[in-house]
Amino acid sequence: MNKTSIKDSIAFKNREGNEKIFKYIFLSAALISVISVIAIIVFVFGKGIRPFFGDDAYSFTNFITGLRWAPSDNEFGIFYMIAGSLLSTLGAIVLGVPVGLLTAVYIAELAPKKIEAILRPAIELLAGIPSVIFGVFGLGIIVPIIKDISPQQSGQSMLAVILVLTMMILPTIISLSLSSIRAIPKSYKDASYGLGASKIQTIFKCILPAAKSGILAAVVLGIGRAIGETTAVMMVAGNNSGGIPLSIWDKTRPLTSNVAMEMGYASGQHQELLFSTGVVLFIFIMVINYVLIKITSKVGSEGEKR
Amino acid sequence: MNNNSKFSVEDLDLFYGDFQALKKINMEIQEKEITALIGPSGCGKSTFLKTLNRMNDLVEGVTIKGKISLDGKDIFKEMDAISLRTRVGMVFQQPNPFPMSIYDNVAYGPRIHGITKKSVLDEIVERSLRQAAIWDEVKDKLKKSALAISGGQQQRLCIARTLAIEPEVILMDEPTSALDPISTLKIEDLAVELKKDYTIIMVTHNMQQAARISDKTAFFLVGEVVEFDSTENIFNNPKDIRTEEYITGRFG
Amino acid sequence: MTSNRSSRKIKDNIAKILIYIATSITILTLLVILGFVFYRGLPGINREFLTRMWDDKTTIVTVEKDINNLENKSLNYVPSLGIYIDLQDGNVVITGVEKKSPALNALNKKGEIYRIKKSDIIERVKKIDLREATSLDEAITAIEGEDTSLDLKIRRPGGGILPMVISTLLIIVITLVVALPIGVGAAIYLNEYARPGKVLRVIRFAIQNLAGIPSIIYGLFGMLFFVQFLKMQYSVLAGSLTLSIMLLPTIISTTEETLKEVPNSYRQGSYGLGATKIQTITRVILPSALPGILVAIILSIGRIVGESAALIWTAGTVAQVPRALFGSGAAAATLTTKMFWEIQEASNIDTATSIAVVLIVLVVLLNLFSKLITNKFLKRTGTGK
Repeated sequence: MNKTSIKDSIAFKNREGNEKIFKYIFLSAALISVISVIAIIVFVFGKGIRPFFGDDAYSFTNFITGLRWAPSDNEFGIFYMIAGSLLSTLGAIVLGVPVGLLTAVYIAELAPKKIEAILRPAIELLAGIPSVIFGVFGLGIIVPIIKDISPQQSGQSMLAVILVLTMMILPTIISLSLSSIRAIPKSYKDASYGLGASKIQTIFKCILPAAKSGILAAVVLGIGRAIGETTAVMMVAGNNSGGIPLSIWDKTRPLTSNVAMEMGYASGQHQELLFSTGVVLFIFIMVINYVLIKITSKVGSEGEKR
Repeated sequence: MNNNSKFSVEDLDLFYGDFQALKKINMEIQEKEITALIGPSGCGKSTFLKTLNRMNDLVEGVTIKGKISLDGKDIFKEMDAISLRTRVGMVFQQPNPFPMSIYDNVAYGPRIHGITKKSVLDEIVERSLRQAAIWDEVKDKLKKSALAISGGQQQRLCIARTLAIEPEVILMDEPTSALDPISTLKIEDLAVELKKDYTIIMVTHNMQQAARISDKTAFFLVGEVVEFDSTENIFNNPKDIRTEEYITGRFG
Repeated sequence: MTSNRSSRKIKDNIAKILIYIATSITILTLLVILGFVFYRGLPGINREFLTRMWDDKTTIVTVEKDINNLENKSLNYVPSLGIYIDLQDGNVVITGVEKKSPALNALNKKGEIYRIKKSDIIERVKKIDLREATSLDEAITAIEGEDTSLDLKIRRPGGGILPMVISTLLIIVITLVVALPIGVGAAIYLNEYARPGKVLRVIRFAIQNLAGIPSIIYGLFGMLFFVQFLKMQYSVLAGSLTLSIMLLPTIISTTEETLKEVPNSYRQGSYGLGATKIQTITRVILPSALPGILVAIILSIGRIVGESAALIWTAGTVAQVPRALFGSGAAAATLTTKMFWEIQEASNIDTATSIAVVLIVLVVLLNLFSKLITNKFLKRTGTGK
């Protein structure tokens, strides 16, 4: 047998150097995320703080505490928008968290296999529906219904925003709660049953408290989604030009809508102040992100303890 | 120094961080013999084996002192890890075929070393599978997934995969511990057959296995080589009381 | 004791009822949305909607008549052009074009061939305006004159979403071409190279932050950086690059999850054969992680298809097939941004819901596809054990 030796074809040259090059290629790919975050902050903040400096500076106090946004009168107050954003997010959380959590409980603990096999893809589909479609649905169904029952003229209202946001955060709440409920060891349940607890008691007294960090993470993520949602909200908010929404029937103008409504045509200081609105939103998001990272790292370490 | 010495280990120390896993190891490993490394769990025999082809380089926080030479060349100073590993192949405790076809598994080594010609690869694959005594069992399913054959077959496939890079030394890390008795015997027969062409160093927990197939045996205890001698002497006439206790304890 | 037990039973039942109500609300939400979208949107879906351009397009062409053709197949047949015409809503519509028709070789004003197609509308022949034609004869007489060559003003009706379909595909391709290598490369770094320490913490922190930034902020950044600072103008490239950054966290974390699942024994086996790290990565690790990378691609496509806020001020909302990747003429609306624009600017819910039907079908297909891959992958690792 004529033996072919593979040794002849091995190239030893410069291997260590090549390996280093690849390491740095992969490292630079990873660093693009870091550079992007920095670039986003620099560009958006840079543009957003500009109107508060210089000769024709706009008063930051007036901006942050103002109750009216009227570019034609050179009046740019966003306090009522901050209130609008926070109130609608709060409303969506109040409605969405119980519904989402209980749905997750049903899927995890009560649903027969066959029903689960229908529910899970249904929730994945709900998660995949583009936000614009929620907006059209809100505009086509929710707004007309509200208009019929509302004491006010318009169906576009904070209630409409809350309902649309609730629908949109449901899949987030459900899937995250579901996975944290699923992560609870079976031994916990067995212990609870062993002490004579009913299924429902076990769920509410044992499983949900044990899954609380994961559920909290779901809630915080839901808050992030709700406060940052733009296109769907903008379609149903009514986008009033001033005043804190005092009832759910009032029109509102969340921060995101303000940016999206006028970005298309604004220029000069007006446009820069839209970026300032974006910066305020961004600061809220960064706080939420920070809380979320804290919670999830806690969830991670708890998981290791188990 | 013996003329037929393949590996020559001088004053080898190995640390995992602060923990010293190997202490002053000195050993001459002979060419075309089977050397068995025995000893209780955690005694350093696997660590020692992995040092011989520098697989420990991949572990974080390892520091090595002393000298190991392969055919008189220092493996740390005069060779890079990659070319060392092509001369010193390794078979692992758990059969670990890649999730590819049987053919691609065997051809993996030649391919990464730059052989692309189909006819050459075919030849290497067939030769390696024959040497590993598995050719007849897999020749009709070379394109099938390597994960679909039995554990014993997978381990012989892994040996074939190692043979395909034409090593001079084959390190075996408890190659039969995951296998049933019949597969184990097949691997043992194969090792004896392979000794004609290759130097084999094998870690084993199985005393009978060491006694059956090895020419030399080294007994490790807490990072030290207590005794290294011909298998005959180690099992029938141990010089150190600790070796005797371990051997007899195991034989019951 | 008995009263205790019965009160417990009551409490349990109330809780159960609440759970059932919550689940029903979730399912109803989905059903009502789907019902609304299909009820309003489905009637607008037909072949024209899916295959036509968005805007009408008017072109003036010159046709060489085939004066030898004297066949008279039917009342609405125009022999010299080899076409069939019909009067629909006061328009002279071409209902059929024969294979040998000279209309297939019509030339536009630049001298390029402009193939006249079925459903094109003839608005003018020579100087005769046919837009208010009352009978077919009027049109046929106008065409069948003595001249051998004829100037026609042809209107190709729009009303279709084809440009948005093309733009969406284009943006998907560019975004993935940019984001996939970066995302997979980053995941490889994190899982195969990175050692715990400051660099790793900073990278992880950055990725977690990117994941939390809402798309409107990406839109603002894309507008400042790609559109204005890099002077790309509203363009598919500016939109795609913005989306690439937005999708990095998804791609990185999905890929990293699968890299973690690649057994360490594969790596050792490869190193033991003398493979280098990069050979081990490209030949063993990445092929084993392929299903996860495919899932990352599908997730990304889903996000791109549904994205609006990050695209409106980076890629624009023009319903056209982009003529360049960046610069002038490169702006393009995707299905979703067009749908948004239809509501915001035109208050046209019917067209918007028709686009929504297409989007939902796409989302369902993507979900099915991802499930298929995951199931296949699970089966494979199943036999591996």
